[in-house]
Amino acid sequence: MGTDSATDPGWEALARVAAGDAGAFTPLVEDHQERLLRLCERMLGDVEEARDAAQEVFLKAFRKAGEARPMGQVYTWLYRIAVNHCLNKLRRRKLVRFLRFEANPEEPDAPAFDPPDARPGPAAALEARRLWQLTRKAIAKLPDNQRTVLILARFEGLSYRQIAEVLGITEGAVESRLFRTMRRIEAVQAQEDAQEKGAPRVPGTEGKR
Amino acid sequence: MNRNELELMRLLHGELPEEQARELRARMERDPALAGEYSRLQRSWEGLSLPPSAPVPPGFAQRVAARARAASADTTGLSWSTAPVWVRAAAAAALVLGTALGAGVGGSWPTQETPAEEVQATDEELSEVDGSLAESYWTAIEDLEP
Repeated sequence: MGTDSATDPGWEALARVAAGDAGAFTPLVEDHQERLLRLCERMLGDVEEARDAAQEVFLKAFRKAGEARPMGQVYTWLYRIAVNHCLNKLRRRKLVRFLRFEANPEEPDAPAFDPPDARPGPAAALEARRLWQLTRKAIAKLPDNQRTVLILARFEGLSYRQIAEVLGITEGAVESRLFRTMRRIEAVQAQEDAQEKGAPRVPGTEGKR
Repeated sequence: MNRNELELMRLLHGELPEEQARELRARMERDPALAGEYSRLQRSWEGLSLPPSAPVPPGFAQRVAARARAASADTTGLSWSTAPVWVRAAAAAALVLGTALGAGVGGSWPTQETPAEEVQATDEELSEVDGSLAESYWTAIEDLEP
């Protein structure tokens, strides 16, 4: 996945930043802004907050450029800063507001971002939204450490080794943590399914799973 | 969790080497319970879906870079991270000495409120420490669990 540490030009850019070449920072941000914003959004569940967080993460990276050691890929180094930053934000909130959907009393099922659905037909759009909501509910019930590993594995597509690098834990710990997370997700999904079966279904979404 | 379960998770995540993946698939063909376990795990995994994330706001990289340059200009010549060790040690010693003298002369800690920004910055640093400790704690607990 991506370039290896020997060829990742990001390390050289960071070295130049550390040496005082602030101009080398803009292309680095441009290269990584999309995935970092996405990660922060997944972690925090709020677009505006994610933008602020991503900005802070890049500023931290700018300040820490001199401490960066070319090991692995630059984005895993940035992910590490981002994950710590987002976890600190979540801890500070005290309230696990993973996605605002559950916590916003005015609009309980509002998504953080309401993108257009590419799939044709209102039934497909409704089904997609139903899955998003179920996923958010399930993820919101996870403890921070399990949520983080799930986001990195399922939604960011990182390998066990990369997740281990980002979180500073062993691959074995990633593996067992991810497995436990999936067990928990299964239980939550089963619970949600049972609740849905007890409630009237949304017309047009039957048999789509 | 047993070896089979971890292997199923590895297969699902594409982490299993091809040879082992073939063996596991062959085992699943012979063992319906194992196959059922895999299909349940796969269903849960694939049932996880989140909407596409918001687009990058225009000019984001430029704004971040401008803030970084401004912050860098503010601290030029005052960066502790680049200061020699003896300068940092001397500053730390002066701080400790000053604090001790202040406490001795004053007899009590000042009651003036700390500005909110300072409190926030301190909290952040502390929570970073708490975070890594908590992470280590969880990892240790998880590794100990059967």
